[in-house]
Amino acid sequence: MAAPSMKERQACWGARDAYWKCLDENTEDASQCKKLRSSFESSCPQQWIKYFDKRRDYLKFKEKFEAGEFQPSRTTEKS
Amino acid sequence: MLARAPKAWHGFFPLKLLALPRIQGGQAGQVRYRPFSRQGPAETGRLGQPQGPRLRTRLLITALFGAGLGGAWLALRAEKEQWRQQQRTEALRRAAVGQGDFSLLDHRGQVRCKADFRGQWVLMYFGFTHCPDICPDELEKLVQVVQQLEAEPSLPPVQPLFITVDPERDDVAAMARYVKDFHPRLLGLTGSAEQVAQVSRSYRVYYSAGPKDEDQDYIVDHSIAIYLLSPDGIFTDYYGRARSAQQIADSVRRHMATFRSVLR
Repeated sequence: MAAPSMKERQACWGARDAYWKCLDENTEDASQCKKLRSSFESSCPQQWIKYFDKRRDYLKFKEKFEAGEFQPSRTTEKS
Repeated sequence: MLARAPKAWHGFFPLKLLALPRIQGGQAGQVRYRPFSRQGPAETGRLGQPQGPRLRTRLLITALFGAGLGGAWLALRAEKEQWRQQQRTEALRRAAVGQGDFSLLDHRGQVRCKADFRGQWVLMYFGFTHCPDICPDELEKLVQVVQQLEAEPSLPPVQPLFITVDPERDDVAAMARYVKDFHPRLLGLTGSAEQVAQVSRSYRVYYSAGPKDEDQDYIVDHSIAIYLLSPDGIFTDYYGRARSAQQIADSVRRHMATFRSVLR
């Protein structure tokens, strides 16, 4: 399977960005963005979709973490 | 005379600090006022003199002094940057990265080894063609650096290199397809699994192929850095994701300037 060309990469990133923008607007409610999700899935290799989903999770986690929304768990507090 | 002289100086702040010790020196102090006598003969005591020309002259001299200080500060800062960079280069040299030779195939199928790049500055990046976003971004950045430096005719051209960490999939044809989208001079390098392992080890590049999915596709986890090699083939510096094209170009320019003056 050949690697995506520059054009295909850019199409994939565009679809990803549109999908992520929709998620931003709908506070991560994926049910509102089904059409963009399927467009994203058809524009990108499966590995990339998994990768970008993980990346999204990480970026959201990082945002929350930096906003100080995480408390140490009770077990780590006690240890 | 001596009693009046301090008053004449008080509008002239920076030199007042220099003048004070002299004022305290008795007779010798008067002789030392000579260098500043461009203030005009009025300086040595006639308080009735109009303030106009003396004030202008003093302001001018203060401004020149300030400009001199500013210039000195900028020069010192540039020197500090240069020194810091030299320290870093020295530390990296001691780390002995990229010492061994490598033998790889370029994207036209020609064998290339490290000696082929002697005499050129080289910016190299390790990645793979199936990379989702990081490699294209870093290569774009690398290309921007090359283009910025190309725009300056006095600087030698920089050779951009892309070395794959995925020799299983990135054969010569795949590399050719990939590099053409970035820059006409971007050279792709690939080889056997052993050759890639050797060059990666040499440049301390970590890479690890991830699990394959149903399409047999996989992502290669790898360290991300753009390496700078000097014309004598020595690893000189590296730049991580956080550095912008502008910062990298500035650093390369500094290395080029130092290199010429030290070895030629």
